[in-house]
Amino acid sequence: MQDQRDQLRYQRQMGLPEIGEQGQKRLARSRVFVGGLGGLGSVITTYLCAAGVGSLRIADRDRVEISNLNRQILHWTKDVGRDKTVSAREKLAALNPDAEIETHHLEIGPENAAELVQGCQVIVDGTDNLQTRRVLNRTSLDMDLPFVHGGINGFNGMISTFVPGRSPCFECLFSEFGSPSSPPPVLGSVAGVVGSLQSLEVIKCLLGLMDGLLCGRLLFMQGQTMAFREISLEKNPDCPECRGR
Amino acid sequence: MWISMEQYEESGMKNTVTITLNGFQEEVAQGSTVSSLIKYFQELDKDLIVEHNGRFVYPGEYPRTVVDDGDRLEFINPNFGG
Repeated sequence: MQDQRDQLRYQRQMGLPEIGEQGQKRLARSRVFVGGLGGLGSVITTYLCAAGVGSLRIADRDRVEISNLNRQILHWTKDVGRDKTVSAREKLAALNPDAEIETHHLEIGPENAAELVQGCQVIVDGTDNLQTRRVLNRTSLDMDLPFVHGGINGFNGMISTFVPGRSPCFECLFSEFGSPSSPPPVLGSVAGVVGSLQSLEVIKCLLGLMDGLLCGRLLFMQGQTMAFREISLEKNPDCPECRGR
Repeated sequence: MWISMEQYEESGMKNTVTITLNGFQEEVAQGSTVSSLIKYFQELDKDLIVEHNGRFVYPGEYPRTVVDDGDRLEFINPNFGG
């Protein structure tokens, strides 16, 4: 905490007994890796940055396209054609000049994931494909870091936080699934809800509020009926990645 | 071994259970497993999440997960967009 300005900036959340001055300092010392700057990543990074998470390391390989703008709220019409990392860094730095925004314009893969995540306390899934999620899940297991997963499709979304040793991993659930043949239709507000819930999970991880995490639970949102349902998850001894450990 | 409702009816057997599948009540043959119900209800998408009474069912458990009267079953398409 630097000064009175910080006290004012964060006073509404520092009033929470779970945060307070110590918690705010803890957030300021934290570093989070966010993979992907699409619909989910836009919301996740915005809320983490606004909450005072000290350092965000972000990776995305894409440039902004006009078809992104219905849901990727960090990117605006003037950004079409720019790297998403450049667009995001500009907005996030304007939102909170004290945040360290480290961007990597690249594709996340098994060859670079460990280096990208090094020094971070949480891995967040803002990706749009199974392949990258599998890489991030492997990295979460290897580096013993929580992996906050989110996914969206049309009116629906799902969220879970995979904590190595405490919960199943992403592959426990989805190792037999194949990649969809085409990108799903997506409503921007669904990305907003799911990304917000992911950012809340990240903040809880950083504050050490581990008991209330979506750990061992998969939350499903059906936006059309506004129904939220929770599915209990057990470890999968047949998992090719964690073997149910 | 699972047999269809039609086969049950033809054989004169009356043993059925009522489950809630994707929010709708369905009468299915007693002893039906998740595997047999996926075939019976023609769930063609192989990438399917199955929830049985609030619990995630792994594909390896489908053949041995038997539904009982009053059970809730959900076939869910996963959401992998971002």
